[in-house]
Parts: sequence; structure tokens; C-alpha cells
Amino acid sequence: MAAAKGGAVSDELEKKIDFKVIGKSAVRVDGKAKISGAAQYINDLEFGPGLLFAEIVESPHAYARIKKIDTSKAEKVTGVVKVVSGKEFPFRFGLYMHDRYVFAQDHVRFVGEQVAAVIARTPAIAKKAARLVRVEYDVLEPVLDVEAALQDDAPLIHPELAKYQHVPWFFPKKNSNIAHFRKVRKGDMNDGFKSADFIFEDTYTVPRYAHCSIETHGAVGLFDHSRRLTVWAASQSPHTQRHLFAEALAPLGITHKDVRVIAPFVGGGFGGKAGVSMEILAAALATTVQGNPVKVMWSRAQEFYNTYQRQGVVAKMRVGVKKDGTITALEQKLHWDAGAYVEYGANVVNAAGLSATGPYRIPNVSIDSVCVYTNLPPGGPYRGFGYSEFIFGLESHLNEIAKKLQLDPVEFRLKNAIAEGDTLNYGGKMNPSGLQECIRKAAQEIEWGKKTVSSDPKKATGKGFALFWKAPAMPPNASSTAFLKFNEDGSLNVLVSAMEIGQGFLTVMAQIAGEVLGIPVEKIRVETPDTDRNPYEWQTVASHITWSTGNAVKKAAIDAREQIFDTVSRALGKDRDSLYLEDESVKSKREPAFGLKLRDFVINGIMMKDGTWRGGPIVARGMFMPEFASAISDPETSQGGKPNVHYTVGASAIEIEVDRETGKVRIPKVVLAVDCGKVLNPDLLKGQVTGGMVQGLATVLFEDMRFSDEGKLLNANFTDYKIPTAMDVPDEIVSIFVEHAQPDGPFGARGVGEHTMIPAAPIIANAIEDALGIRLKSMPITAERVALALLDRK
Amino acid sequence: MAIVHEFEYLKPKTLKEALHAVAKNRGAMLLAGGTDLVGHLKEGSVAPSLIVDIKGLRELKKIVLKGRILNVGALVTFGELMESRVIQSKFPVLTEIAGKVASVGIRNRATMVGNICSAVPCLDSGPVLLAMDAIIHVKAVRGGRMIPAKKWFLQARKTAIKPGEIVTHVSIPLPEEKGAGCYIKLGRYQGEDLAQASVFVWMGKKGQSRVAFGSVGPTPLRGTRIEKHLKGKKLDPAVLDLAKELVSEEVSPITDIRATKEYRLHMCKIMLERALLSAEARIRGNGPKYGKSLI
Amino acid sequence: MMKKSISFQLNKEMRTIDVSPNEGLLEMLRDRIGVKSPKCGCDRGDCGTCTVVIDGKTVRSCLVLAIEVDGSELTTLEGVMNQGQINPLQQMFLDKNVFQCGFCAPGMILSATELLEKHPHPTREQVQEGLAGNLCRCTGYTPIIDAVLEHGGCKGGCRE
Repeated sequence: MAAAKGGAVSDELEKKIDFKVIGKSAVRVDGKAKISGAAQYINDLEFGPGLLFAEIVESPHAYARIKKIDTSKAEKVTGVVKVVSGKEFPFRFGLYMHDRYVFAQDHVRFVGEQVAAVIARTPAIAKKAARLVRVEYDVLEPVLDVEAALQDDAPLIHPELAKYQHVPWFFPKKNSNIAHFRKVRKGDMNDGFKSADFIFEDTYTVPRYAHCSIETHGAVGLFDHSRRLTVWAASQSPHTQRHLFAEALAPLGITHKDVRVIAPFVGGGFGGKAGVSMEILAAALATTVQGNPVKVMWSRAQEFYNTYQRQGVVAKMRVGVKKDGTITALEQKLHWDAGAYVEYGANVVNAAGLSATGPYRIPNVSIDSVCVYTNLPPGGPYRGFGYSEFIFGLESHLNEIAKKLQLDPVEFRLKNAIAEGDTLNYGGKMNPSGLQECIRKAAQEIEWGKKTVSSDPKKATGKGFALFWKAPAMPPNASSTAFLKFNEDGSLNVLVSAMEIGQGFLTVMAQIAGEVLGIPVEKIRVETPDTDRNPYEWQTVASHITWSTGNAVKKAAIDAREQIFDTVSRALGKDRDSLYLEDESVKSKREPAFGLKLRDFVINGIMMKDGTWRGGPIVARGMFMPEFASAISDPETSQGGKPNVHYTVGASAIEIEVDRETGKVRIPKVVLAVDCGKVLNPDLLKGQVTGGMVQGLATVLFEDMRFSDEGKLLNANFTDYKIPTAMDVPDEIVSIFVEHAQPDGPFGARGVGEHTMIPAAPIIANAIEDALGIRLKSMPITAERVALALLDRK
Repeated sequence: MAIVHEFEYLKPKTLKEALHAVAKNRGAMLLAGGTDLVGHLKEGSVAPSLIVDIKGLRELKKIVLKGRILNVGALVTFGELMESRVIQSKFPVLTEIAGKVASVGIRNRATMVGNICSAVPCLDSGPVLLAMDAIIHVKAVRGGRMIPAKKWFLQARKTAIKPGEIVTHVSIPLPEEKGAGCYIKLGRYQGEDLAQASVFVWMGKKGQSRVAFGSVGPTPLRGTRIEKHLKGKKLDPAVLDLAKELVSEEVSPITDIRATKEYRLHMCKIMLERALLSAEARIRGNGPKYGKSLI
Repeated sequence: MMKKSISFQLNKEMRTIDVSPNEGLLEMLRDRIGVKSPKCGCDRGDCGTCTVVIDGKTVRSCLVLAIEVDGSELTTLEGVMNQGQINPLQQMFLDKNVFQCGFCAPGMILSATELLEKHPHPTREQVQEGLAGNLCRCTGYTPIIDAVLEHGGCKGGCRE
């Protein structure tokens, strides 16, 4: 059977065009649970009267040495079960680099860092007692700015950086605050700039952002009396969490088979619930109160200051260009404010560095993507994974260049847009891409070139355009697996460990299995995982799940199909090659009259004339790992290797109306055209476009994280960190799908979840420039900034 | 989030009982809608010994027009203000103000009197009450007081109310002459927000004008110089320009997380101009619908 | 702190329970009664996920003390179902795949229900205004707004 092998899936199904389930807007398999209130999230699970609650004692300082922790008063409070601090867990851990701790050890490195925890019988007691923990600090001068952190005399935030364990594709610089330096060199920069008629240089800045899932992080740990550790968590990464818990807590004698992670529905992820952040607390604290479950729920404020944040970046760029608009060279220096711990965030820096040209064919490239420690909360993955950040500067800058060359910004982009087979920054070849078509269709939909005029003289109108691309950022051996098992009535359970975080993953997996097996989606159950029962998955990140887990599910379905054919041909003597599946039955191309319902044999098998049985329960498996990928390349150039499995590309356009007095922007229409290969479920894809676009527009129009001069987050709530409401959405959001099949994707699909928010910032910046002639080079571009810029111009 | 602080709870049936409860307990706090108080209890920023829930005092839940005096009881929610027929016909600008407060779920619970008792600088109810010379009626065991709005707001979060007193209602004298008002609130976006700045105006057909600002000082501020300037004048461009120039003499905005002082000042001018023009148009009968966003 | 026995109707069933004055309504419903559809998203009235209906009006249960609901009628999402079946508005949301993570759904559905009671044939602006207190980070709201409008009988929004 071919199904269990790694590598790309190739199957006659790819050639099919009359799909029954694929490409249809199937109703979500989790829809009913979600609209009826039945869906359970971490905080909805019951743990009985033994449940304990933890309250965290946090650092009030951005950088300080811990002198003393006095827990004696807290311990005396009735109802307090245990007070725990760093000395119980002197272990370093992390996803890509081991640079963080369960609790702060000798130093705290950001405001809000966990220093100790009080475990008590009720949340109120825990909270009260946590206030009684006395911590003495030696306050140190924090480093809050990325450029300051890069100075030679800057205090070292991690003096032991050189000793930290990390993946082989990271390059930390010892005795500095540089945790990782991704260098990309392609072609010859001297030639590139020499052959240019003009060189344009500028700097763009992007602040930090928060995911703002409406559900905060939460986890419950139970270390039972048999010394097995179960953690229930709001998680995008159950298996990775299991691995990191087992790794971090190994000194306590815990092994992988002793650790189990159960992930209920997740109330929004956007990258924030990937990797391991606060969940380590539930795992570690559970080991201190053996036999009792202990819950750690983040408050909204903690959700802002002690989970991953989207990193800020200062992007300096130089672009060489010929008069006719051909880009000859691009130099990008990206300085990332990665925060106090970079175990995940450094890979954002890495991924952005590899792709910071955007989707353009540029022969000569120099990119420095620098991951810098600061005394701000840890940076990490956020929908877009570094691409939103550099695309803001890049697409703003290219628009300016087009304008200066008196070229149409869309024509300029068409001229330089990357195409299938073009050489990527690291030397590989570009995958199939409908970028040109996306550009043309987006331009047509927004009526590019047609100037609109507002009926209100106070209002200016403008249009903006930008391209985007993104590849999954993942280890080359990140893999997915699936189990399939039939039930007596021919219905099916699909067991996978990627997570439903709202994107519709469960539904799409049901569609894939259903298409292969001829079973309607309503007869397929796919649930969120338990690492004890469900097979391995790396993480639900990087927009790679539809592609990767989809491939695994498809292979598992093919495995099941082969078993079915095997049983039927063996028991009934049917010609195996003539068999096919349709309408929940096995049919034969040779015998149109033949039809055997799956429910008649997928559990109990087929009875022979002599009363014996053939077959038995159909249980199938599938696995996918991209065996062609490699992260190893020349550290000085990034050439060699194949770090990215594919890029998804597209174009976006917007029409705005801006009030010249108030600076307020109204959006009559926004368009996003994307080529994510075969569209598996148009409704769900449209949902990704609409939601991602609104989330992206908010980063440029309303949101940003504000810190005090002491490094304290000032807007750790929805009162002052403004995420959009139903009143703050564009009048019209148009999705356009261009379908150039991904050869190694399930039915030709590739990833799309993150991409839809990536172009939002530059389309606004470019439309404002078009409307008002003002170029704003730092985000966010709030009404206030627009209005004040207009006043300044007067 | 659990409330750590412990307190007793009383829900009196009569005003007298409520007054005695707050007279006896220095640590008592009043609860009406609770949208501020319960949040403060969760944060631990208040620590009452007793909470007196006045929602049982039906007499405080009335909206009554007596002659030209509009009385709004202490238990009237913003949602009820919006739906009140009397207010819709006699003082519709109050529905516009109420509609700018937070969102439906808060307006269903939060009261205007609670809003002025919290007295945060960004409160939406402040400018209108100040500009219309409203009176805040308080009662204590020993008797009542009538406090003019301009003497009510002392500092940010501090009012003229004394321990043992309960606000029973607010009375708004509606001007004799025909006129119309307009309230414009500046937020960071169209959805629910606390005011970055706000402007209330009321224009009379015979030339009377009233102006007040919110969120540009520790308390709501009356624009007396602007009122004087506008009195009896037609709103031509020169008049409007001078009115806008006077704004910087009336308000003292600061820079905080919600806005810079420069933007606040700039927007007060813009909002004043738009509010005046809208109010004037409303008198004529062709103004914007109440509640429509004007910025 | 004196505990007090309170009685109220919850989804048409009479309930009696002892509460401490400092107990929140959201905590009581979720942790003591076991009604889990109201969620805690911000605990300060900003997000609307804790929305419940008290005496016919949506409120933020995170900003209500449990003791305040003595004598009231409460409805949660569980109470708007039709004898165990989803109601027509829920069906519309289901068919249109409007929700993603689903965490905001219980509050959003209650707010939409209240809105449709007030304005059976709403305009787009009325829907946006009526749902503005319920934050959603996944959907960009548009599919939710469109579904409510369609339920109200006017695709794209009724005219005033």
C-alpha cells in the first residue's frame, strides 16, 4: 500500500474534476456545537471539587535581579495549598532555542514575568495570598529599544546566550543581544546597484501587536498518584506541548509516555496559542500538588503582557531600480524587537529574513534579519509570522518608487512580480503561482485607475494596492498523521491532532476523507485531539495544516479504500481494479448492478458461504512529511537547502474615503485575490479572507501596544487596545480565488490562513498617500496621525 | 475574576431605608447599574463594607416632564433614555448622547446618574448637564440639597456629593425657546469607545447658544466665551472661525493613551463647527438624524 | 459576609441558591449552576462574551453581582433553543458558516436576538450598532451581519 509512505501524494483523484465534496461550501462539522453553546473550551471543562487554582506573582520591573522571595505570609493563609517559585524548576526550555524558564530564576526580564505562584482552594484565596508574597529586587536599567539593545555598550539581557541550545539554523552572536542573525545574499549587490538608474532608501517602523483571541489562554494540569501528567490546554500545538513539557520536566523523571495533552475547542489562536507559553505553568505546578488538578487561567491583562506578542520591527531598505521600473537590487535591514525570550520569536525573524523581498523577481538581494533581545514581553508567532511586518515597509516603499518613476503602481508590480520557476532568495525555484492573474483581477475589481470623487468636499478618496506572499515557517521534518476508523453504520471517525482554531480545519479534513471514500461530510466525525489517542502532529501554525494534515488524511482515506477493496475482492471475488467508492457503497465499473453498502461490512466483514467471515474493522492511517525540505544552508548567504515548502501569493486593493479634518478613514471596498491552489471549501476560505482582512486593517488603523518608559504595557485591555467592532468593518470585502494547483497538496491545495491579513497595512498606507499625498512610514496610521500630518503640512 | 474583597449587601425597599443605611455605614457604596462598581470591585480599587442596591426604589426609575423641567430618576438607564417618548419629543439630543454610551449591553444596565457619580473626565452625560444648567437632587436623612451641575463636578472622579447622600434624580430645565442640540463624541473608531473628546451644543431659535466640552479637562467644561460670542449671531464662516479660535481658551486637553492634546484641541474645533451647523439645521428641520455619526 | 438565598428563573426553570454578596453572576452561572454558554473574555464589560438576558434585556454578566438577580428572569443561549432544537436564527448562522472559533457565538446570538426583537427588519447600520458590543476576532463580522440581515428578510439590509 502506498498510503503509509512519506512524500507527496500522487493519485488518480487529482485528475478528477467532478468532485462530490471538495470545492463545495460544506457546513462546518463543528457548527452545531458552536451555535448551540455545546462547544467546550478549556474553562468549560469540569474537574470536580478537588480543583485547585493558581495565581501568579509577577515582576513589576522590566529588568531586575531577584534578591529574595519571601512566601511565608502567603503560605499561612487558610486555603493556600502551596507556594512555588523558580527554585523548584531550575530548567531552561523552549521551542527553537532553550532560553526561557518556568519561573524567573535570578533575573526578571520583562514586566509581568512569572516569579512565583500561589496554589489555593479558590481563586479568591489564591489572589489574596499572592499579594502577600514579598519579592525583593535589585532594579537594573532595562533595554527597551531595539536600536539601543544593538549598541556595543548595551547591557546584556542574556549573558549566557552562547551556552543556549538551539536549532542548527539559528546564529546567535555571543556577547551581544543578538539572539539570531539571518543573512541572505543572492547575486551581486554592487552590480545590482550599479546597473540601477535610481536608488531609493527609507526606513519604516512597525510596533508590537496582540492577537486578542476572545478566549484567553488557560490550562489545567493534573499529576496523578501514578505520576502521569495530563494537561488540558487551549492549544494550537498539543503534541509540541507534550514534547516540551516532557523535555522541560525530564529532571523530575517524567517521560513522553507519561505526558498527555488534551485540547478542547480553542477560542481563537492566530499564533498566540502555538508553542508553549503559560501552559508550562499548569504542567509544572501540577507536579507540586500531586493528585490534584490545578488550573491557570490568564486574565485579559495577562493575555496582553504575558503571552507571545507580535514583534516590532525597524526596516531600513534600499532598492535599486531602472528607469523602466525593473528592480535590480534590494537591501533590507530588519531589526526585530524580539523581547525577553525568543525561543519561538527568533524563527519569525528567520522566516521573514528568507522572504523579505516580497513576491518579486529581484536578481541581487541582501537581507539582514536580526533578532534582538529587549526587556519587553516575549515576541512570538502571530498570523503572518513576520511577513505582515516587512510587507508594510516594502510595499509602501515600492509604491513610492513607482510614483517617483511616474509608473503606475500596478504596472510596476506586474513587471517585477515573481512567477513559477523564478529563483527564490535562497536559491530554490518558485512553485506554481497565479500572481499575475491575482494582480489583474484585484485591479479590475477595484477599478484601478478610475478616480472617484466624494460628494462631501471635506473628504478625499484614494486607492491602494499591494502584493503579498508567505511560505509556511516550519522545521523541514514537521509532519502530520491521521487515523481513520469506521463505525457500524458506515459513518467515520477521523483522528488527527491539528487543531480547530476557528479556521474550519475539522470540516476540511472531513471533506477530504469524504471525497476519497464517497461518504457525505455529515457522516464523518472529526474532533479536537488527545495526544494519547490521536496520532502525531507538529503544530497548527504556518498555514500548513490543510496542506500537510490534509495530505495525511487523504493518505489514510486511500489506505482505508485499499483495505475495503481488498476485503471485497477477496470475499466476493470481484476484480479489484474495477472497484470504486460512491454513495457510501463499493461499486464496480464492470458490473453496474453491483453495489455493496459500506455499513454492511466495514466493521463486521463479509460472510462467506461456509459461514466464515472475511475482512473486519477498517482502521487506516496516513502520514505526511515533506521529505524534500531542508533548513541547512550557508549561514553567510542562506544559499542551499530548501527551507520553504511553497509560497502562497496574492494581491490586494482598497478604496478609501478619508476626512481631511478628522483623519478618519472609511472603507467602501476592499479586495483580496489569492492563489491558494484548489479551493476546498469556498465559504471557509471566504471566512479567512474576511476575518484576516479586518484583523489586518485594525493593525494599521486602530491598534498598537503602548509601553511606559519603564517597560510596562499601558493598554492591556480592550478599553484602550482597540480591536474592531461590527461598526468598524469595510462596507464590502471581495474575495477572489485564483486556482493554480499545488502539485503536492491535497487535491491541489496550499495554505492560506495567515495570508489574508498580510497586505492590509500597506494598502491603507498607499491609499492614504493616493488620497492626500502624505506618506506615513510608521504604524499604526490612526485618524489622529493622519489629521496631525495634514495639519503639519499646512 | 473573583472579587476578593468581602462586603455585606442590602436591597432597601424604600428611600428612607436606603438613606438610613448609608447614614449608618461610612463604608457603604450605592449600586444601581453596577457597570462601574462591579468592575472596580473586581479590580480591587474600591473596598466598601456595605453595598446598598437601590434598584428596588421604583420611585427613582421615572422620567417625568413637569412644565419645562425634565426629571430623570437615578435608576433610569441609558437604554431607557433612548426609548423614552418624552425625551424623543422634548429633548431628543439626550437620546443622541445616550446612544453614544458604550454598547447595548451596557446601556441596558448603566444609568445616567451613575455616570455623573463616577465623574470620569470622559463621561458622556457631563457636557449636556453642564450646558443646560441641570440640577442634581440629592437626599440625606436630614433633608435634601439641589446642586447645580457646574458645582457638581469638582475634579476627575470627584463630585460634590457627601457621605450619607443619595442622588434621587437630575432635573434639566428645557429652554422656553425652540431649539435643537447636537452631541459629537470623538472615539478611536466607530465602535464603542471612551471619548477622546466630546462637544455638546444647543442652539435656540432666538439666538441662545449653549456649549460644553468633555474629556478635555478633569471635568466637563462650559464654553462660556464661545456662547457669548455666538449669542444672536448667524453661523456664517467668520462667526464659526472665531468660535473655533476661542476653543483653545475654553479647554485644557492633555496627552494620554487615548489621544494627544494637539488632536483633542484640533478636533474640539472641528466638532464644535459640525455640532453648531447640525444643531442649526435641526432647528430648521433638515438636520442630521439624531445619533448619526458626524465625524 | 452574610450569604443570602436568592431565587430566580433560569431558562424558564425556578432556581434557588445561596450566594455571597461578592459572588459574580457569571461565576455563579458557570461554576455553581453549570451553565457554560456565557464565557469570560475580558471580565470588565468590554467584550460581550458573557452576555445573558435579564428581564428581557441583554447585560454583561461579568458586571453583575449574583445577588442582584434575586427575583429576576434570566435567559442564556441554552434558553433560546426550540425544545432542544436550534432556532431559525441559529439555523441561519449554521447554514452560512458564519462563526469560526465560536467563542463569541453565545453572546452574539443573544445580542442578535434582542436586536431582531427591537427591529424585526433591521438596516445594516442597526445590525452593526446592535452587535457592536460583542467582540469577535475571527470573522470580520461581515458574515454575521449578513446572516442577521437575511434573517430579517432583507438581504443587504432593509430600508428605514
